[in-house]
Amino acid sequence: MDEYIVEMRHITKRFPGIVANDDVSIAVKKGEIFALLGENGAGKSTLMSMLFGMYEPDEGEIFIRGKKANITSPAHATQLNIGMVHQHFKLVENYTITENIVLGQEPSSRFLGLLPAVDIKGSNKKIAELSKRYGLEVDPKKKIEDINVSTRQRVEILKMLYREAEILIFDEPTAVLTPQEIEFLLEIIRGLRNSGKTIILITHKLEEIKKVADRCAVLCRGKLVGVMDVATTSTKTMANMMVGREVNFCIDKDPAQFGEEILKVEDLTVKNHDGLPVVKNVSFSIRKGEIFAIAGVSGNGQTEVADAISGLLPSCGGKILLNGNDLSGTSVRERTLAGISYIPEDRQEVGLVLDFSLADNLALKEYFKEPFCKKGVLQDEAFDEQGERLVKEYDIRSGQGISTLVRSMSGGNQQKAIIAREIELGSELMIFVQPTRGLDIGAIEHIHKQILTQRDAGRAILLISLELDEIIGLADTIGVMYTGEMLNIAPAETLNAIQVGEYMMGVKSV
Amino acid sequence: MNKDSKANPFVRGVLTTLGDEKRQSISIPLFAILLSLIAGAIVILCLGKNPLTAFLSFLQGSGILPKPEYAAKKSIITDLMSMINMWTPMIFAALAVAVALKTGLFNIGVSGQMLVAGFAASITVGYSNLPAAIAMPLVLVIGLVCGGAVGALIGWLKHRFNINEVVTSIMLNYIFQYVISFFINSYYINPVSRQSQPISAAARLTLVDVPVFGLKMDIPLGFLLTIPIAFLVLFLLNKTRVGYELKIVGLNKKAAKYAGIKVGKSMVTSMAISGALAGLAGVTLYLGYYNSIQPRVLTSVGFDSIAVCLLGNSHPIGILFSSLLISIISKGSNYMSSIMGIPQEIAQVITGLILLFSACGAYIRYRVAQAREEFPGGKLQIGAESKEKGGDKV
Repeated sequence: MDEYIVEMRHITKRFPGIVANDDVSIAVKKGEIFALLGENGAGKSTLMSMLFGMYEPDEGEIFIRGKKANITSPAHATQLNIGMVHQHFKLVENYTITENIVLGQEPSSRFLGLLPAVDIKGSNKKIAELSKRYGLEVDPKKKIEDINVSTRQRVEILKMLYREAEILIFDEPTAVLTPQEIEFLLEIIRGLRNSGKTIILITHKLEEIKKVADRCAVLCRGKLVGVMDVATTSTKTMANMMVGREVNFCIDKDPAQFGEEILKVEDLTVKNHDGLPVVKNVSFSIRKGEIFAIAGVSGNGQTEVADAISGLLPSCGGKILLNGNDLSGTSVRERTLAGISYIPEDRQEVGLVLDFSLADNLALKEYFKEPFCKKGVLQDEAFDEQGERLVKEYDIRSGQGISTLVRSMSGGNQQKAIIAREIELGSELMIFVQPTRGLDIGAIEHIHKQILTQRDAGRAILLISLELDEIIGLADTIGVMYTGEMLNIAPAETLNAIQVGEYMMGVKSV
Repeated sequence: MNKDSKANPFVRGVLTTLGDEKRQSISIPLFAILLSLIAGAIVILCLGKNPLTAFLSFLQGSGILPKPEYAAKKSIITDLMSMINMWTPMIFAALAVAVALKTGLFNIGVSGQMLVAGFAASITVGYSNLPAAIAMPLVLVIGLVCGGAVGALIGWLKHRFNINEVVTSIMLNYIFQYVISFFINSYYINPVSRQSQPISAAARLTLVDVPVFGLKMDIPLGFLLTIPIAFLVLFLLNKTRVGYELKIVGLNKKAAKYAGIKVGKSMVTSMAISGALAGLAGVTLYLGYYNSIQPRVLTSVGFDSIAVCLLGNSHPIGILFSSLLISIISKGSNYMSSIMGIPQEIAQVITGLILLFSACGAYIRYRVAQAREEFPGGKLQIGAESKEKGGDKV
C-alpha cells in the first residue's frame, strides 16, 4: 500500500440534480504521471477539486502517503504538499512574478533594521534559482500583465514548487497553449517527474497522454471506466473507452428531405477578446430540412461560430449568407428579424432575464413589435395571451404560471421556455447550442423531438453539442471542429461515434 | 450566515418577520427606519433628553402635528407648506437615482446636474423680465434639458469609452461646482449675501409669503408636478418599450444584447432621463426653495437622494414616502433643537443614521436572500466560497 502516494477510495460526490462522481477509486504511485481522461462533465475536475480541498466528498475516503486525510481547504492541501494549476489562472495582474509566487508565504526582512518588510530582493533570487532548477525560465521582476499565457502557466507551476508541492495537479493545462508551447510544457512535466514529483494530469487530449503519461484512468459520466498502462494501450482503445459506449437512447428519425440552401458560411474567422483566432476559415452550408451538427470538445470554437452567425460576436473575416443575403454588419436584431432563432449555450446568463416573469421572457425577442407594443407602450394582454398559449403548447411548468420569476423555475422548464420562444419566431434557421446540457432524460427526449419536428417542418438547423450521442442521433450532416478548424464534414450515416470521437480528439487517421 | 440562522432563534425570528420577497419590499425599509430611530433615541438619551419628545417635535416642526403656540401669521399649515417646499426637490432627485439604478447605473452626480440646471435657468429666465406664465414653464423646460444633457453625456462616456459613470459623474460634479462658482463670483454675485443675485419672483417656482386666510405662507408650485411625475416614471419603467429595455439592460447585459437591444443606447437614454429628473430637482431647489445659488457648494440633496431612493426600494411610489420622511426630519430639526435644547446637528445625525440604515436595508435584503438560497444547498455554497478563497494561496 505504501507505494501509493495518493489514494482516493469509493469517492461519491453529488451536486443538485447530478452525480458528479459515482464510487470512483484511483490510486497514484509516487513519481508517476497519472492522467485522468474523460469527456466534458465526466467528473475529472470535480474529483481533483476534492483532492485539493475545494469540495469535500459526500462518501469515500482520501489517503495521502498511506494516511487518511480529511482535506478541508486548499490551504490544508498545500500543507499536505499538494499543488494545483487551475485551468483559469489565479494571478494578481499588476504584481510581479515574484510577488505572485510568494504571496501568502512572504519571507520577511527588516527595513533599515527596524520595520518588517517583504524581502523582495531575496525572493527574486530564490525564484530565479527555482526557475533555473526546473527549467522554467522566467524573469521574476516582470509583471503578470506583461507576460503571455504560457509564461503565466509557468508562474503557476513555480507557485506550487515554491510551496514545496510533491503532488502536482494540472487541470487541462494545454487548453490555452499553442502546439509548440504544449511540447514545451510536456517536456517540463516530464522533467518534474524525473525530479521525483508525482503528477496528475487532467485532460481530454489522447495525444498528450500517449506522450507523457505512465498510467491513465478513464472517467465517463462520473464513473470510473478503467485504469490502464499507457504504454501498452492503443489510442484507439482509449478513445473507445471514453466515447465508444452504446447509445443509451434511441431517436426515431424520418429520412431527411433537403430543400434549398438556407445558410452558407464561407471562410469564417472569429477572434476572441484577446485577439486570438478561435475560429479559423470555417466553411459549411445548411439546407432546408437539414440538421447540421458541429461536434467537438468544449472550447474548440463551436460556440463562437454560433455567436458569430447570430451577431453577438463580430466576425473578422469571411462571409455569412442567409438565403443569399450577406449578414455582415447587421445587428443582432436585424438578424433575428431576417430569420435566425438562437438557443444559446448559457440559458441563464444569455437566453433569459432571470428576474423577469415567464411572460416577459417568452416575449424577449418580439416585445418591440405589435401586438406586444403599440406606439411605445407595452400591451400586457398580449404578453399574457402569448404566455398562456406557449405555456400550454410547450408544457412549460412553473409555480405561478406566466407571472413566475424565471429564476425560480427548473433548468428543464427554463430551456423549454427558450425553445418555445425561438420556435415561435418562425425563423428559417434555428441554432441550438448545447440544448440539453444539464437536463434530465425526459426533458432531453422532449427537446430532441422538437428539434426533429422543426427539421421536418422544413427549417435549417445548426446543432452544436458536446454530447456525441446527441450528434450521432440527430444529425443529418456532421462537422467536427478541433482548435478552431473544421476538420471534417460528412453525411451522418458515413460516420460512427468512434470515428467522430477520434476527430474530436484531433486524431485524424480514421 | 446559514449556520447563524439555524442556531440563532433571533435571526430566525427576524427572517420570518421580514417575510417573503414581496413583503420585504416594505418590511425591510420599515425595519431600517426602526433601527435608525432606536439608534437616534440612544443618541438623544445620551444627551440626557427624552427621545419621544424629540421625535414628536420633529413632527411638530414640520407641520404634521400642531405646535403648542404659533407666531403671528403662522400656523400648522405654513409649517406644512414649508416642509413640502423642501420635499419637492428631494422627490425629483431620488427619482433620478432610481431611473439610473434600474439600468444598473449609479448616478452619484445628481447634485452636479441639479446645479447646472439651476444655474442655467437662473441666468436665462431668472434674471429676465418674463411674466410668470412664460417664465415658470420655461424654467422647468430648461431644467429638464440641461440636466438631461449632462446625464446623457455621462451615459455616452460610459458607452463610448467605457468610463465608469461613478467616476465621470463625481469628476463632473467638481467641474460644474467650480466653473459655475467662477461665473457666479464674476458676474452674478450679490455682495451682501455672498450668493448669486436673487432671481425674479416671476421665475420662482415657489410663491413666497402669500397671504391666505390671514396667514402668510410659501406655496411650492413645483410640488404639483411631483406626484404626476412619480407615476409617469412608474409608467415609463413598467409599461413602455423604453422602460422594458432599460430594465433588461440593468438586469442582464448579455441577455439584453442577445435580445437585440442596443445596450449603449439604453444606457445613454437612462442617464438622460435620470439627468432630466435631476434637472427638475435643481430648478425646484434653486428657483423654488431658494432663490439664489451659493457658490462653491454642492447641495446635499443630490447625495441624500441616493439613500432616499434605496430606502424607497427604488420604486417611484416608495420614494414619495421615503423622501417625505427625510424632509420631515430635516424640516423639523430647527424646532426640535429650539425646544429641546439639543444641537441641530443631532437632527442631521438622525438623518444620517436613517440613510445609513437604509443603505443597510439593501444589505439586509441581500443577506436574507442569500440565507434563503443557502438553505437547501448550503454545502455547495461553502464549497464555492472556499474555492475562491483558496485559489489565491496556491
